[in-house]
Amino acid sequence: MKRCIALLLALCLGLCACAAPAPVDTVLFAMDTEMSLRVYGDRDGRVSQQLQQQLLELDAELSATAGSGALYRLNTQLESDDPHLLALCQAAKALYDRTGGAVDPTVCPAVRLWGFTGESYRVPTQDELDQVLGQIGLDRVTLDADRITLAPDTQLDFGALAKGYAADLCRAILEEQGCAAILSLGGNIQTVGTKPDRSPWTIGIADPQSPERYQVTLSLEGSRAVVTSGDYQRYFEYEGVRYCHILDPKTASPVQGDLRSVTVVCDSGVEADGLATALFVLGLEDALALWRQAEDFEAVFIDREGNVTVTQGLAQAVSNCSFTVAAR
Amino acid sequence: MKTKTWILILGGVFLVLCLAVLAQHLLSTPAKSARVLSDGQLVAVLDLDTDQTLRVEYAGGYNEITVAGGRVSVTGASCPDQDCVRCGAKNAGAPIVCLPNRLTIQFADTQGLDGITR
Repeated sequence: MKRCIALLLALCLGLCACAAPAPVDTVLFAMDTEMSLRVYGDRDGRVSQQLQQQLLELDAELSATAGSGALYRLNTQLESDDPHLLALCQAAKALYDRTGGAVDPTVCPAVRLWGFTGESYRVPTQDELDQVLGQIGLDRVTLDADRITLAPDTQLDFGALAKGYAADLCRAILEEQGCAAILSLGGNIQTVGTKPDRSPWTIGIADPQSPERYQVTLSLEGSRAVVTSGDYQRYFEYEGVRYCHILDPKTASPVQGDLRSVTVVCDSGVEADGLATALFVLGLEDALALWRQAEDFEAVFIDREGNVTVTQGLAQAVSNCSFTVAAR
Repeated sequence: MKTKTWILILGGVFLVLCLAVLAQHLLSTPAKSARVLSDGQLVAVLDLDTDQTLRVEYAGGYNEITVAGGRVSVTGASCPDQDCVRCGAKNAGAPIVCLPNRLTIQFADTQGLDGITR
């Protein structure tokens, strides 16, 4: 009889596990992109709402065009003490120094000159590029502990960092609430904690030849930021040349390097975001040299021939493709 | 409490849980389907085994969605970039997104992935 009771109890417990609450899925449009949030253990949906509020707040504050936003005010009034902008400027300065200026938020006027802001693409003349180069450089930004001041004619755009920064803030909310989650902020992936079934997070890296498919699979444990920069996301072609939306701050022109995409995996979202752009600008050789000096990120590179190079720390995490491992 | 009473109670709980799990299974999205969201709100679930068309309007814009041969595609849209139309016909994997019209088409079959970085 006792066996019978034990069996019934086990069956009940098993069924309870099967009927575990479904994750809360949210889709929203913010920061000029589509975002999807999957939160586990968010029983009443409040954590997902909190994330949504945070993202919409950042959307308003970091828009370069919304008149009421902090970034718009900074670009027009040339000074600000907004805490989000201060944090982003500090992150940008650290990445700028670390990458030799390969990522630079003052590149904004060049992005506009090439038509990437309004999708009215055109190839500027060399005179126009020379003129706009005079407006680029992080030395045109004075960053104090509580104030940012811009030199005249300087404008900032945090397109290469803002989604990563947003992911960091969302991760902090999720960790405080004890929820696991996977967030896709316009293709920037942030995993938080462990899935309820304890399996690793499985993330595909888009195939640059056909971005709706994926070329590489990553299996990752715990909280990680996974960000990809590639030449296939936004681009135009003119007289047989492909011009992508990622600009080299030193030339004020689209990168024409040896890579189609770079995926960075690290703990910090804002660092992953900035490094993905910077490594793409640097090209494979210089990017690997930077990785060899660092301990805080790993990367997957896909070159123009479709070859995949994976840094040593990710070699065990990659599957579904042929690849070579870059050693330290 | 007597052993028989315990068995009756546990048996009852077991039966209720069985029904709950069965209901959850039956009501969940079928494997061959796509969820259509407009500005994050679910507006339709499309069975990919049934050929059909759907027009979704948002803020003066529109997307024409077609299901044919087990795949879904955006066959017409008012957006200037036409990225959603260029996605082609799909039945799994990463969602089809139209940013200007805030349209998302998600697939039940995510090919075993939790997410795609792009």
